[in-house]
Amino acid sequence: MAIALRIARTEARGGFGALRLLFACLFLGVLALAAVGSLSGAIDRGLADEGQAILGGDVAVTISGRPPTDAELTALRQAADTVSQTVRMQAMVRHGDDDQLLAELKAVDSDWPLYGTAQLAEGGGNRAVQQALRHGAVVSEALAERLALRVGDRVAIGETTLPVAAVLSSEPDRASDGFALGPSVLVALDRLPQTALVQPGSLYTTRLRLRLPAGSDGAAVAERLRNSHPDSGWQVRDSRHAAPGTERLVDRLAQLLMLVSLTALCVAGVGVRNGVTAYLDQRTAAIATLKALGATTGQVTRGYLLLIAAVTLVAALAGAAAGALAPWLVAKLADGLLPVPPVAGLYPLPLLAAIGTGLLIAFAFACPPLVRAGALPVARVLRGPVEAWPWPSRRALALALAAGCGVAALAAVQAAEPWFALLFLAGAVGVFGLLALFGALIIRLARALPRPRPVLGRLALTNLSRPGGPAQALVVALGLGLSLFATLVFIETSFEAELHKAVPDKAPAFFLLDLPRDGQQRFLAMVPAGSTVRMVPSLRGPVTRVNGTPASQLTDVPEDSYVLRGDRGLTFAADLPVGNRIVAGRWWPAGYSGPPLVSMEAEQARLLGLKVGDTITVSVLGAEITATIASLRQVNWDSFGFNFVLVYDPATLAGAPYSWMATVTPPDGADRSAFTARISRAFPTATVVRTDDVLADVSRLARQMGLAVKAAATVAILAGVAVLVGAMAAQERQRRTDNVILKVLGATRRQLTAAALMEYAGLAAVVAVLALGLGAAAGWLVVRHLLDLPWQPDWGKALLTMALSAALICLLGLAGSWRALGRSVRAILRAE
Amino acid sequence: MNYHDTPGPADDMVISARDVTLTLGTGATRVAVLKGLDLDVPRGDRLAILGPSGSGKSSLMAVLAGLEAPSGGTIAIDGRTITGLSEDQLAQMRRGRIGIVLQAFHLIPTMTAAENVAIPLELAGHPDPFPAAAAELAAVGLGHRLGHYPAQLSGGEQQRVALARALGVRPALLFADEPTGNLDAATGDAIIELLFQRLEETGATLVLITHDRALAERCARVVTMRDGAIVAGVPA
Repeated sequence: MAIALRIARTEARGGFGALRLLFACLFLGVLALAAVGSLSGAIDRGLADEGQAILGGDVAVTISGRPPTDAELTALRQAADTVSQTVRMQAMVRHGDDDQLLAELKAVDSDWPLYGTAQLAEGGGNRAVQQALRHGAVVSEALAERLALRVGDRVAIGETTLPVAAVLSSEPDRASDGFALGPSVLVALDRLPQTALVQPGSLYTTRLRLRLPAGSDGAAVAERLRNSHPDSGWQVRDSRHAAPGTERLVDRLAQLLMLVSLTALCVAGVGVRNGVTAYLDQRTAAIATLKALGATTGQVTRGYLLLIAAVTLVAALAGAAAGALAPWLVAKLADGLLPVPPVAGLYPLPLLAAIGTGLLIAFAFACPPLVRAGALPVARVLRGPVEAWPWPSRRALALALAAGCGVAALAAVQAAEPWFALLFLAGAVGVFGLLALFGALIIRLARALPRPRPVLGRLALTNLSRPGGPAQALVVALGLGLSLFATLVFIETSFEAELHKAVPDKAPAFFLLDLPRDGQQRFLAMVPAGSTVRMVPSLRGPVTRVNGTPASQLTDVPEDSYVLRGDRGLTFAADLPVGNRIVAGRWWPAGYSGPPLVSMEAEQARLLGLKVGDTITVSVLGAEITATIASLRQVNWDSFGFNFVLVYDPATLAGAPYSWMATVTPPDGADRSAFTARISRAFPTATVVRTDDVLADVSRLARQMGLAVKAAATVAILAGVAVLVGAMAAQERQRRTDNVILKVLGATRRQLTAAALMEYAGLAAVVAVLALGLGAAAGWLVVRHLLDLPWQPDWGKALLTMALSAALICLLGLAGSWRALGRSVRAILRAE
Repeated sequence: MNYHDTPGPADDMVISARDVTLTLGTGATRVAVLKGLDLDVPRGDRLAILGPSGSGKSSLMAVLAGLEAPSGGTIAIDGRTITGLSEDQLAQMRRGRIGIVLQAFHLIPTMTAAENVAIPLELAGHPDPFPAAAAELAAVGLGHRLGHYPAQLSGGEQQRVALARALGVRPALLFADEPTGNLDAATGDAIIELLFQRLEETGATLVLITHDRALAERCARVVTMRDGAIVAGVPA
């Protein structure tokens, strides 16, 4: 070991040469993995630490479309020290005559927030917020900005007008409220009736947040409440699962990012292999001399292993240190953009996992070249440059394989869905193998092709097929990185096409909710001439019985059946709604006034085992209505209109207190903002949703997620570029000598550059085409089978991305060749 | 400056060098490799430059062949001044005019023997480089090895390919730098025989760099170098 250590030390003194490539690749790979792991840990901690604040209580009970009954309040108060009530709904906020915006109205009681701190932009916490609420509305910073509101301005919400009493900069329980259609506005709960927004059939949720006595088990209380009120339509959550939607989103994104980072690390592995190979190639003379002087293969191998391990460790530590900064950076840069702010801090576990994965990958890729360099026969080295290296021994391959298995195990342990991670890795290994095969085929093809007569073409072709040349390593590393990039482009463009191309053709421009029952004619008079308008009556109520059996007693209800969960939207119609088709039974005749009849959506009926003639009971404002299923309908859910699972005959519900929902598609050129303003003024309690605003929100979210994934993929590409540079370095010596000979024979630098350009352009084109094919295959799998979306990629964008990547590869290749071209003829000949 | 546009000082000489100096390194490592040499080589001459290792003979060949720029003085090849030309202009100057054989053969390993020989012909704009390369290889006794790669040839065969490559373009001037240095005595002798035979056939002027006095004496003229200067043998 002492000799090995001395070998390592003396070799380190001679400079690290191509090991700098190993350092760069591993640094990048570990950086990506450490950054993703740390960030995910920071967001998880944010969710865990802030669970009570995010939920706004130890336990929260959500009720749709109605206030809690006295009995329910009593039950909740018995379980808790304090019960705080909020009501949340969409509402139009108007400022002046023309400015209005769809906002999330939150009416809060005097105990809000039970946990966490609300903050005002002008300073002040919970007490200041409560004081402000006594004087008027408290608007979020986003709402203040979009409506140009200042404290003291007056805003109209529903049928009341309130002064803006303060601007809210932080709302602690925002993440648990889920997807919002607009910025927040807070009013005191006792002012809510003044808005007249809560009407029978209105879409709103009441949330009751509980502060439990010290030492209570929130999860147990939540479970008890769920069990004691099975028919109430409650959704009960405890603080450990404060924001399940956000938690799911973060988990999925973190998993995707981790897999992309693992790919980056695999690409980096190829760079490690090239770096080690190039370094050992530079050191062959030293290795031969050491062996000629009596050093054993083991001593030589161990000596270089120590040196390479030291560089690897430093690279992994440096990468992890840089990655550890991610939570701080994101907390600083994305302040307020994330649903849960990441808790800046050091997350040792993901960092250790990243270092471990990095070291194992480095070992897996460095082991074969190291072992075979150690085993190189002295005589062969001393005879001249080694063109074809021996195959690594079985032991080396077994060690590399063991390290690879270690990487897979680490990835599986870290992943939320280990099998998915393992499948992904298996897929990556498959693609790896496929690319290696393609690389070998390209070399074979380059050798088999008839040599072009023009000297430049011949040079390019012979360089491609050179033993130990860059073709195979480049095809593997850049192919993997570019395939990943192409896959992301295909997924993103398919997703965007679904959002932007498919939707606007069919979707109405406006969705209007809570138009008053007696406002139908007035509303129709305000709609721009030539508009397509569809209005349906709307009520809400839970399904309480199915064929006489209480809903809570039904067992084996399939997961996909949502009819029994919470309130249902209900409507009535004289005619079969547009886009619906009767598949069983018959629609009621015009003017029907017999016993209650209902038409049910066929798929939901099938899930509950219901058929024509069965009965279903709903509770509308406390009145139970049992109706016989007269028909089953097939509904086209993609029609972007209002579709209901339960449609009643008009006689049954016409007397109930309903409101109207409407869709409006105005003709091109109609002033949409003026229409919104007109409706908001005339129907202050109505909600106007502009489809393009919602699509913009969804699209923004998708873009942000896409950006995060692309950032990780860029690291994979960077690692690929490092591999390219390394591959150039690995064969620089031979390329340099060849160039010098050609210069001696009369070749100019321009001719040699042209030959290099032909070589890299050919290689880049092949890699880009391969990546496009593999990316399309992977993208198709994800889009069709994972996301269940139609396959509609933007081939132009994908081709452009690949063309730009190919151009970049060419440029980098040329930059590398330039160095070899620039060396003085005599200097090289003298050195040789 | 263009090689073709600038008349040199002595048009009847293939090489005309005046007060050529070459200094390498800077500061404490500064070494004067060539110290003001004058040399004229008439067309058809057979000149040997003899000297021990480190005497500067290979460096002299490098500056004469345009492989290295001298630090001072002037050099004219075929009556045209080459000092001050760029690397690419020097490369263009060598095409078809200068052939070089080096001690370590320096064949391109990824090309066959025929391809190696064809390169300078193509660069010089030869209309039919491959048949010419094949004929040249046949002339050095390797007509049966056209498709072989350097690694598949012996050292002697590789040097014969290098000789064919150098003479294929029918250069006015052939530089041979220790052409037998990497070969055993018998193979070396065979190569030298072949070299002189091919020179007779092609009429090229020879500048032979060697430390082997016996080999040098096969040439019509011998100049001896020591410490960067010509110490014996009168320049023509």
